[in-house]
Amino acid sequence: MAAVVRAESLTKRFGTLTAVDDLSFVLEPGTITGFLGPNGAGKTTTLRMLLGLARPTQGKALIFERPYAEIEQPALRIGAVLEATDFHPGRSGRNHLRTLSAATGIPDSRVDDVLRTVELDGAANRRVKGYSLGMRQRLGLAGALLGDPELLVLDEPANGLDPEGVRWLRDFLRSFAAGGHTVLVSSHVLAEVAQTVDHVLIISRGKLVRESRLDELTAGMGGAVRVRSPQAERLREALERDGISSTEASGALYAQGTTSERVGEIAAASGIVLHELRVEQSSLEEIFLELTSEKPE
Amino acid sequence: MIPQVRAEVIKVRSTRTTLGLVLGMIAIILLFVILTALLTSVGQMSEREQQRSLFAIGSFAGLFAALAGIMLVTGEYRFGTIRPTYLFTPKRSLVLVAKVVAALIAGFLFALIGEILSVGIGSVILDQRNISIALSHHDYELLTIGTLIGTALWGGIGVGLGMIVRNQVGAIIGILAWGFVIQNLLFALVPSVGRWTPDQAQNGMMGMTDSHLLGPGLGGAVLVFWTIVLCVAGAVMAARRDVN
Repeated sequence: MAAVVRAESLTKRFGTLTAVDDLSFVLEPGTITGFLGPNGAGKTTTLRMLLGLARPTQGKALIFERPYAEIEQPALRIGAVLEATDFHPGRSGRNHLRTLSAATGIPDSRVDDVLRTVELDGAANRRVKGYSLGMRQRLGLAGALLGDPELLVLDEPANGLDPEGVRWLRDFLRSFAAGGHTVLVSSHVLAEVAQTVDHVLIISRGKLVRESRLDELTAGMGGAVRVRSPQAERLREALERDGISSTEASGALYAQGTTSERVGEIAAASGIVLHELRVEQSSLEEIFLELTSEKPE
Repeated sequence: MIPQVRAEVIKVRSTRTTLGLVLGMIAIILLFVILTALLTSVGQMSEREQQRSLFAIGSFAGLFAALAGIMLVTGEYRFGTIRPTYLFTPKRSLVLVAKVVAALIAGFLFALIGEILSVGIGSVILDQRNISIALSHHDYELLTIGTLIGTALWGGIGVGLGMIVRNQVGAIIGILAWGFVIQNLLFALVPSVGRWTPDQAQNGMMGMTDSHLLGPGLGGAVLVFWTIVLCVAGAVMAARRDVN
């Protein structure tokens, strides 16, 4: 199957600094991938190379198997937002979108459509200067949606959003992906995208340190499933028979290296009552930190 | 090609920058035209060369056209809109050509306003002072063509310069220092070199008669040459440099 996004030995050096180091990955159609790493890991540089804004020192950055600059009218297939602040402050939201739609021959009616999609139609004729950060994020997204793209590339879209904004974004990305579209979304906070993405690419200091499904990341890396049961001892034994070790702390069991689905199934098979069953968010963060923390070489 | 030009025209029209430039231009041209036409003695003002200089004040529009061209490029870097611009049109030379076309159109309209002000208001004041016009029909032709075409070309020069410099403040200070100081000094001290500058080439193009200036045809060609050189240099740099 043709890849939507393909990085092949992608490398970017700025003088002696290697910002992106021999990075290779492939995104399949219909996936939502979180592109994760601490600040300065090379996420934005990678996205800039994929989007034709920066030239790779070595390797290939392909979208729909071609360099971005060689795609005819790319905005009709790819929507991207790199910075939340890329607007002339004195231009209205609608006019900002018109400068973009005009360049690809997209009709003005589509401008109004996307303004409604991101719930900015009421503020469309106001100058961007007066927009809140959340409104700017949504205006950027509206620009990316103008061409009704199959692929959405967003760099840190949740930065500076309030919880309501984060939730709005999550819902939006889910409904976008539900239509069979592909999403690549970067973040330096795993928890921010953990409820949205199904795949993760984790990079640290320009190198890919982990590429997997999100659930495999939890299962394979000792992510703990927190479970409370009045029959805790029986549950612990049932888990052990299945090769799952668990520890008890503050009235709950923490099962290592499994998924909440598996723990639930085991409990049901043994007729054990559960009061609580969830993946510990903190353990996801711990994996993330463990993978991306600076290690002496 | 056409869609990109439309996008650039929308950019020019959708902020108050252009309006500010036009108002500033009108104020400055009016000020100089009125002061010159009123304060120059009747004897001097009756001379053909003095009248030519008065009506040439409209070419001040060139500076504002250059500023508009500079803003059209450097504004994109300053506010980051260059990213969405290139995402929608990754062929950067196409963006540059569209900006040049938009700046030429804007420059031409600026020049039209400048020309109407300098020749219109100037003529009215001369008429009020009972000074008869000493300029020939051909003089008027050269002044008009030199102002309109020359000023439009300054818009293109601004775009090329903006692409090379990218920093808005730097480019603006650069063009002001060049226009008001450097090229004047150059022409005054080494006229054989200074007459090849775009500024003095435009003066030649408008039929100004300083003996060091290039003739109208050669002046126009030199101004076109400068515009092309700066725009090609800008295009080459835009293609090579990463966008942050």
